[in-house]
Amino acid sequence: MSTLPTTQASPAPAKTEAPPEEWSDRVALSTIDESMRVPGIFFVVSGGVWLLIGTALAIVASFKLHNPEFLGNIEALTFGRARSAHLNAMTYGWGNNALFAVALWIMSRLCRAPVRYHYILITAGVMWNLGVTIGIWGILFGDLTSVEWLEMPTYVTPLLALSYALVGVWGILAFHFRKGDHVYVSQWYILAALFWFPWLYTVAQMMIFFTPARGTVQAITNWWFAHNVLGLWYTPVGLAAAYYLIPKILGKPIHSYYLSILGFWSLALFYNWAGVHHLIGGPIPLWLQAAGTVGSIGMVIPVIVVAVNHHLTARGSFRAVWNSPTLRFVVFGAMSYTLTSLIGSAMAVPDVNEVTHFTHFTVAHAHHGVYAFFTMVMFGAIYFMLPRLLNREWPSATLIRIHFWACALGIGIYVVGLSIGGWMQGLMMNNPDIPFLDIVQAMIPWLLSRSFAGILLTVGHLAFFANLIWMIAGPRSTVPKTSLGRERVPA
Amino acid sequence: MKNLPLLFLGIFFTLAFSWSGLILSSEIQYGKLVPTTSTLNAEGEPEEGGELFPAASAGIALQGKEVYQNQGCMYCHSQQVRPKGYGADFERGWGPRQTVPRDYILEDRVLLGTMRTGPDLANVGGRALSADWHHQHLYNPQITSPGSVMPPFRYLYRMQEIDPEGPSPDAVSIPADFPYAPPPGYEVVPTDEAKALVAYLLSLRIDYELPEAKFSQ
Amino acid sequence: MYTASALVTVVIIVACLIFVSAVYALYWASRHGQLERFEEGAKSIFTEEEPEGRPLDAFPDKEKPRPPWPPEEETRS
Repeated sequence: MSTLPTTQASPAPAKTEAPPEEWSDRVALSTIDESMRVPGIFFVVSGGVWLLIGTALAIVASFKLHNPEFLGNIEALTFGRARSAHLNAMTYGWGNNALFAVALWIMSRLCRAPVRYHYILITAGVMWNLGVTIGIWGILFGDLTSVEWLEMPTYVTPLLALSYALVGVWGILAFHFRKGDHVYVSQWYILAALFWFPWLYTVAQMMIFFTPARGTVQAITNWWFAHNVLGLWYTPVGLAAAYYLIPKILGKPIHSYYLSILGFWSLALFYNWAGVHHLIGGPIPLWLQAAGTVGSIGMVIPVIVVAVNHHLTARGSFRAVWNSPTLRFVVFGAMSYTLTSLIGSAMAVPDVNEVTHFTHFTVAHAHHGVYAFFTMVMFGAIYFMLPRLLNREWPSATLIRIHFWACALGIGIYVVGLSIGGWMQGLMMNNPDIPFLDIVQAMIPWLLSRSFAGILLTVGHLAFFANLIWMIAGPRSTVPKTSLGRERVPA
Repeated sequence: MKNLPLLFLGIFFTLAFSWSGLILSSEIQYGKLVPTTSTLNAEGEPEEGGELFPAASAGIALQGKEVYQNQGCMYCHSQQVRPKGYGADFERGWGPRQTVPRDYILEDRVLLGTMRTGPDLANVGGRALSADWHHQHLYNPQITSPGSVMPPFRYLYRMQEIDPEGPSPDAVSIPADFPYAPPPGYEVVPTDEAKALVAYLLSLRIDYELPEAKFSQ
Repeated sequence: MYTASALVTVVIIVACLIFVSAVYALYWASRHGQLERFEEGAKSIFTEEEPEGRPLDAFPDKEKPRPPWPPEEETRS
């Protein structure tokens, strides 16, 4: 961490030169942080509550898969409903709330535009969480739709769409009122995600529920949506956070700005074709399966570009990464992104897909992407954001360490265990001499390892939530702002 | 980047590209498929007066599909048979041929599934399994499939005292040495939901050929 | 009904059009100075309050990184 790359022309003290004339009305970052305080805390706390609910449902579902009589007489918690409620609580509850907070905050900061009328944003947030609550209630009590990633009953669609629109518009408004002529790559990612998500959601709702497309066109729409929720919604915001936080916290610019732009466009071009790889071998035309494979393989480009760029930025600063709670999580997430994406590209090759399709390997892969990448980056971003919104430190460093180690080990065991198990499952399933029930039995040790990983993750989530509530409810600290590494605005 | 309209155009264009490439073009290519006869005549038209496939399912089986959906069966059971030579779907007896787009055109909701914790069900009605077997299996999977991890669906069944005039014709035969077996003088009967679900399962069958999909393909 | 091969032809034509427009966009961008001082953009995240060259985050029980960072003699190479 002692040397900076030569690309950095001027040393730190020289950067205090006065900003250009036309930016004289630019708002200080601390003012923006203050304007984001209430909505930021609202979204993070709601996300935290959903994280705990989703974790509880995950544990139920995971235990049931090796111990089917566990809570076996409760209809609402039968495996199909519990796992769907888990997925939706995590995706639309935890994921979206955390994403709203982080994306809006980074957007406002980069645009130098404070959040205006935050009570409307909060109203939208309340509506969103109400919609998710009703939706998950519906899943548990008989209205599960059995459309993957869209399990919530259609009567919550209007509420979710409306509240999302309000939140999305706030991000776009911040962009509209931006000061300064440069649009940083994180802003591209967030802006694009804010446009892509409503489009994906509307098309999927229309073509699957309201005016259903015929036959397996539905399935294609379904996977175009479901894969893009990860690819064009979580991934861009996760990458935006990484592109903002890694250089910011290390105090040095991203290694190559060219590469970051190339990464953006290649992701935009390839990722949204990849979803059909969930239907390889299925009842859809072969050329569509080929398109899905091509899109998935194309993803190697943006992934390698991002990996190289992040690695070269962090090179020489690994101690700083390790000493920063934020960067520990973010860099863990960024590394997982590389790994899971490359595995995903490989899984789209027909010969590999023949084995991994229909197995726990896919489940491991999904958690590798959504958890080890996206969720870990969100944790990191929250660790950086909240002290600035609240002007106080995290109360417990120990709880942060517990959170990190429990989650890192937990998701590691989860992904490795289920990947090995899933691969064996696929090989056994493709050998017709092995009776099906033998495969079911062979999976049980791996499913047990998943439950063990789930318990570790639960520990991590409880540590995170306890620290969060302690921080918010705790006494106002008198720590000066500079202790967060921030300098006061020159008068 | 200084030119924002270009950025917006790019954001719009990339998603529009994949939407039209994947969804719109599939819709154009086969969104209007109609049932047809197993073989075509010399002009490539359906045989006149021949039976059309697939046939629409109706009645109680459709209600059963609702149960299948709201219980989330699809998350462990797929309904698609991959082509012979790709995977072992055919060899495992999951279907006499691969499934093709036309097989699904009359379904309101397509439940292909992406997971096989349990076996594929595209042709479960074509296997030699009786309604009673399905009821036993749903009531307690261990009766028919020892070691299975399928959840029990006992809440879809009722335990009742046997009528002095004779047992109910619907009564499910539950072996006495399994947990939740009815005590003497009692019987287990399916609720309407369980009956519908079993009717749906029995209706799932691939017992017809299509011009584009012959048996053993 | 359209055949698969006709569709593939259409897709290929569309792909070519997109490629051509991408090349043109790049040409246009370089002609209009969009790519000048390109790497400068990477520094736009640093401000007066959170300037370049200062690390910002550490565990709450560890001493905060203090400015100037890195030590001045190392940056003036």
